[in-house]
Amino acid sequence: MKGGRIVLVVDDSRVNRLVLARQLSGMGVEVMEAENGREALDVLRDHTVAIDTVLLDVVMPELDGYETLAAMKADDAIRHIPVIMVSGVEELESVIRCIELGATDYLPKPINPRILAARLNASLIAKQLRDLELEHIEQQRLLTTTIERQRLELSRFLSPQIASLISSPDGELMLAGHRRLITVAFCDLRGFTTFAEQADPEELFGVLGEYHRMMGDAIVEHGGTLEHFAGDGVMIFFNDPVTQDDHVERAVRMAVAMRERFAPIAAGWRKRGYELGFGVGIAVGYATLGRIGFEGRYDYGAIGNVVILASRLSSQAGANQILLSQRAVGMVEDLVEVESIGDLEIKGLSRPVSASNVVGAANR
Amino acid sequence: MTESNPQVLNEAVLEELEASVQGDRAFIVDLIETYLADGASHMVDVVAAMTAGDASALVRPAHTLKSSSATVGAERLAAMARRLEAAGRSGVIEAGLGDEAARLDVAWDEAADALRGWIRRGEDT
Repeated sequence: MKGGRIVLVVDDSRVNRLVLARQLSGMGVEVMEAENGREALDVLRDHTVAIDTVLLDVVMPELDGYETLAAMKADDAIRHIPVIMVSGVEELESVIRCIELGATDYLPKPINPRILAARLNASLIAKQLRDLELEHIEQQRLLTTTIERQRLELSRFLSPQIASLISSPDGELMLAGHRRLITVAFCDLRGFTTFAEQADPEELFGVLGEYHRMMGDAIVEHGGTLEHFAGDGVMIFFNDPVTQDDHVERAVRMAVAMRERFAPIAAGWRKRGYELGFGVGIAVGYATLGRIGFEGRYDYGAIGNVVILASRLSSQAGANQILLSQRAVGMVEDLVEVESIGDLEIKGLSRPVSASNVVGAANR
Repeated sequence: MTESNPQVLNEAVLEELEASVQGDRAFIVDLIETYLADGASHMVDVVAAMTAGDASALVRPAHTLKSSSATVGAERLAAMARRLEAAGRSGVIEAGLGDEAARLDVAWDEAADALRGWIRRGEDT
């Protein structure tokens, strides 16, 4: 029998308790004793001891076996502890009532030590399984809590779409890589490099914080997927991982909203002597999307010409310009007012690219 | 050794008990001494209840006496205690219980003598 298990012997006869205690310790079981049901309940409800099985006499003063069992079954904290009734043959009626009430087994008096060993062993194994089950449920609960917490943390570090993609059933497939038509928007600040060289670190972080907060709100409002922040540079794409039929329109409306909200912030900075302008490049095209990086540090990212084009347009944009690639203009021309800025020579692309600046967007 | 008149002391019960505790005779001797000490007080309670004609007060001491007596093999006393427990439970203590109390007292003395004798014989060997 497994050591370290504790059995509570409840019997009003000291002689019977002595015999049981002695036989049980011979089986390697730790024994506690109670003289009646009331004492037994006190021991069972004591949180410092964990009883594994109760050997319960039927006829006792104070609280008899049936009443003790009934009190145990009414108490959520101890109702699961197995109870073996111990009684003389003439008390069979009471024993049957006890078994109906949830006693696990019955030992006739006088007690045969081999039957005692067999029944107790069965009861202790059942208790051990039950304890394992409870432990398992507790581990499961901890695991679920951890996963929930990780999800919350992830949604702080990643864009919400990517955080929910990771925890969704088809997440693995999407992360493994796929091709899709997306709209990419690149935003950055003109004059940022000069500013970063001159400003105190506290001032720099203050300005960046204000800028990122404004950008973040606009990204979330328009359902954009934030790919990364890099200082003043921010890359956002649309139509992935969540599909959006109006992905170009969303990107343009987001850029317009950012430009509008940037004006008062920039005015505040100007008073402190910093001249910073906001520029955006937007392009549409197919890209490969998924998990990019290496073991230990992966990002969800997009790779393709569309990314390069949006990035280059953003570099070419002047303060307060939102430059659209020709294809992007074609997909939203009814919704936005644009002015062509002609062909741009773009590094890495063999042919010049025609681009337009967004002057205004129609209200929805 | 019939059902109606069991032996004063069934030594086989003590021997089985001794075997069940790996032949620890000292433990059995302690157990018998505990039985004799506690049994004497249960006897007092039983006789008091019978004399007072209090059926409900008879049940528990009679039950405990029955149960401990059976454990140490004092079978005649156990059988008498069983009858008294049943009588107490039925709520009616019959008129003849005065004689029964006297017989019980005799049975207790016989059982106690037999148990002490069993201890002594063990010491001699």
